[in-house]
Amino acid sequence: MDQTLLTGNVAAAWGARLAAVDYIPAFPITPQTEIIETLGAWVDTGEMPGRMVTLESEHSMLTAAGAAAATGVRVFSATSSQGLLHAMEMLYTVSGWRAPFVLVNVSRGLSAPITLEADHNDILAARDSGFLQIHCADCQEVLDGVLLAYRLAEDPGVRLPVLVNLDGFYLSFTREPVSLPDPAAVARFLPPFDPGNIRFAASAPESQAVAVLGGSPYSYFRYETHLAAQNALAVYDRVAGEFESLFGRQRQAVEAYRTGDADIVFYMMGSFATKAREAVDRLREAGQKVGLLRPRLLRPFPTDAIAAALDGVQGVAVIDQNLSMGQGGVLHTELAASLYGRPGAPAILTSFIGGLGGREITPEEFYQMVAVTREAVTAGKAPPPRLLYTEAELREIRKLQAVAQVEREETTPLRWSEDSNQGGAGHE
Amino acid sequence: MYRIRIHGRGGQGIKMASRILGTALFRSGFTVQDAPKYGAERRGAPIFSTVRAARATGPGQAINERGIIHRPDLVVVADDTLLAVPAAGTLLGIDSGSVVLVNSHEKAATWRERLNLDATLLILPAGEEVEDRAELPHVGATCAGAAACLLGVIEPEALAAAIAEELAGLGEPVVEKNRTRALAAFTAMMDQRGVVREGTAIAAEGFTPPSWIELPFEDASISAPDIRAAANSVQVRTGLWRTLRPVIDYDHCGKCWWVCSTFCPDSAILVENGLPVIDYDHCKGCMVCVGVCPPHAIAGIPEYLAQAQDALETETGESNGPDTADR
Amino acid sequence: MSDARIKRMKDLPSTHLLGTGTPMCSGCGGLEALHEIYDVLGEKTVFVNAAGCMTLLSVYPFTPFRGSWLYTAMASAPAGAQGVRDALDILLEQGRIPPEDDLEVVVLTGDGSAYGMGMSATSGAMDRNLDFIYLCYDNEGYGNTGQQYSSATPHGAATSTSRGSRGYPGYKKDLFAVWAAHAPAYVATVIGSEPLDLARKIEKAKEIRGPRMIIALSPCPTGWDYDPKLSVEIGKLAVSTGVWPLKEYIDGKVTHTRLPHDRPPVEEYLKLQGRFAHLFEPARDEELLADIQARVDRYWENVTPA
Repeated sequence: MDQTLLTGNVAAAWGARLAAVDYIPAFPITPQTEIIETLGAWVDTGEMPGRMVTLESEHSMLTAAGAAAATGVRVFSATSSQGLLHAMEMLYTVSGWRAPFVLVNVSRGLSAPITLEADHNDILAARDSGFLQIHCADCQEVLDGVLLAYRLAEDPGVRLPVLVNLDGFYLSFTREPVSLPDPAAVARFLPPFDPGNIRFAASAPESQAVAVLGGSPYSYFRYETHLAAQNALAVYDRVAGEFESLFGRQRQAVEAYRTGDADIVFYMMGSFATKAREAVDRLREAGQKVGLLRPRLLRPFPTDAIAAALDGVQGVAVIDQNLSMGQGGVLHTELAASLYGRPGAPAILTSFIGGLGGREITPEEFYQMVAVTREAVTAGKAPPPRLLYTEAELREIRKLQAVAQVEREETTPLRWSEDSNQGGAGHE
Repeated sequence: MYRIRIHGRGGQGIKMASRILGTALFRSGFTVQDAPKYGAERRGAPIFSTVRAARATGPGQAINERGIIHRPDLVVVADDTLLAVPAAGTLLGIDSGSVVLVNSHEKAATWRERLNLDATLLILPAGEEVEDRAELPHVGATCAGAAACLLGVIEPEALAAAIAEELAGLGEPVVEKNRTRALAAFTAMMDQRGVVREGTAIAAEGFTPPSWIELPFEDASISAPDIRAAANSVQVRTGLWRTLRPVIDYDHCGKCWWVCSTFCPDSAILVENGLPVIDYDHCKGCMVCVGVCPPHAIAGIPEYLAQAQDALETETGESNGPDTADR
Repeated sequence: MSDARIKRMKDLPSTHLLGTGTPMCSGCGGLEALHEIYDVLGEKTVFVNAAGCMTLLSVYPFTPFRGSWLYTAMASAPAGAQGVRDALDILLEQGRIPPEDDLEVVVLTGDGSAYGMGMSATSGAMDRNLDFIYLCYDNEGYGNTGQQYSSATPHGAATSTSRGSRGYPGYKKDLFAVWAAHAPAYVATVIGSEPLDLARKIEKAKEIRGPRMIIALSPCPTGWDYDPKLSVEIGKLAVSTGVWPLKEYIDGKVTHTRLPHDRPPVEEYLKLQGRFAHLFEPARDEELLADIQARVDRYWENVTPA
């Protein structure tokens, strides 16, 4: 057996090590810190060549990462949550530099209130930044995702930075069996970085990332970046094919699990999707035709692959581990937009918000989401979006509010939503 | 699949216990997922970690379940004082099919009576006692060794190899000590070998639907994360973290309360009538006061002994607090 | 430096490296300082720029640089310099570029970045002993957005966000002292109107490794409201009145490179600039003028001649 037990964080560090990165600008933040600690230890002992520098902020870390990539070395960095947002200006900036490198994000809910455990609002805030995004569901995918990300980023037809996302705690601190690929095979898959004309050198004066005045040249440069991101779809498919033939693991842009004959499909991303996979197996045992569709690649968005996998499916239960305030789930919105008007597209997309800040999603909740989606298919109408939140949780919040001495106007009745069909949601 | 939860205190090697058990199971042909549950990972504070292990069906097979184990097949309690701490959640989700292994000097019958459990309760005879239970030597490896035996699917060789692998960074003498304890614990549990049974997943047929509600809209004056109380953190009993208890010998106390009371990081030494009084509900047992007391009138005693003494005195009606009214 | 090549004005470079044709304002004191510095540094440089007036030095498809340039963002140019320097070192170590392709990395920011938003990144770069030159062109306000006050704005100056009769209520931050407190390899103040002093300092900085920090007071016709032809005169007055001390920090010691004797009153400097007009019209604000003069006097009382 060539597998070893690794946390998601250590798997990410192994990805960087196997990719033989030259440069690691770093900054600590929970739950990412183990990645840079692991890399730092390898660099210190000489087990891994390369240079690591701890900056004084993530904003600076991203600037240094982009600047080093723009000078022509292979760069790796990692962050999480508030750090990703602190660096947000530079995410948009360095992608415009068209300098390839890989940034791992360990997902963690955003402030306020500040918290530690995972959801996807951090990584989705970077959705439109020009970084491509690979989302991982287990520790093996983290390692594989980093290697794939370098091939994707450095492809001459792409040349964009790539974010590889793993969930805090559920992957970052969780050990699972991971195959460490043979370094020689990795070197065949991912040869040393050929920067081409990406450089700063005395013999080749170059001004990078210069200003433009006026919308027309701006439109050109920005849309070219978009076209490069779209180009990355075909590049990813090719690279994932090569990866599979070398390492034997399928890493398609979209994971379709038991969707072939499914009438109801879960649609979600990240490590909680393995819980959905488990639920699919249990539902199949109960005779229900249920599957799971999970985008690994969120940017570029694999519209055609998703539409093809959902062709003929009756209802999709979209589970968003994120929340766009005033709109709802981001995946739901994007899925609806990409399926609209396509013949054969599912008639019903139900929307569930769950797993915010690491909140569990239980097996029973997965089963119930299928039941709700089935009812919607029968009724021909999707119910309003639902937060996965139980009566017991609300009771617990009431207890906490009592401790916090939050004044409650006992005379003001709580405004329960009229279409609540759960009943039993008693007033305090 | 085996679903195992290991409870202990920060500093007792609970994360290491789950890693040893995880690696031993992995070496025995299982696919494994193990994780510590971080949160209040402070010395002495209750913590736990989890191990899931399924019979491997093929390479690359990972376990799909994730997160906290709600229905454990085996619960290991490395420190029996945690059983009395509700916030530690040691007994969460235990049913008649579960096995609970308690590291304790007391008898199984005693714990069965106290806890009134439907589960199989076993005792891992605690090793030598130490002053400070946050530094119980090898307790993580010992618990892992006993658990390995109870699972019945791990050979001693795999356990020894797992300990060598996980503790390699600490040097061979440390590995050797842990291995010896773990194998002794393994042997001590031999008459219960294989008592733990693999649990099943929650079926999709006939399941209990979640009691979802519509979250009501509430004004920001209620729904913003604001606390309108002052210093209500005193409701948190951090005294439960304590593994050593500082006790003031009032016969020798110099009444220089400004020393111990000032240096106590937790503001847990009150001054009453010119005398320092330790607030045991909140004292975390750091022993700073013991170190700074000019007349050396504060001693640190093991918390478990102090609790036993307390129980005795409650029965006989005595008190060890200062009778400040007289002084 | 006794063996300095530049000893007299006639020794100053006669060819100028910075390309003409930039969109900087006419009479820009910052551009004057930059071109003088560039002439001494040479073209084997990569400028790492932060948001400010000089963002517009290079507007697609034009650049005035014979060497290289990277535009980053307002807060993090020193971090950009870190990335470029480290990457060049890696490429050199690995033999992927020849030694002659190496570049001097130069951060170029205005006072808005240097005194404020970019201070954390600058502090970090000095902490890490980054081998780079930092050039701050200090025109004492957020110039590129229309001269709002920054923490480099002098007391009493009118800006577009301090238009009241007493001008900017705060005091100019002593960035030289803040930088020197980090004990970097070199810190110096310069001004384009004193090119010999400037050239000697840049020549010296070139010979040192580590963080070399330069603040150039940059008379700004647009933001300070004066006729562009007065830029050099105003710069010279800033030095002779003692408002802008020329000095350097090296090996833990601060040395003044110019000791102005018989300092003319500060108002000689102030009265040429529209941003101080309210100190003179409609009536002289004796209190404020005295305050400004007293602060300059107090500074020089504490300066011991070298």
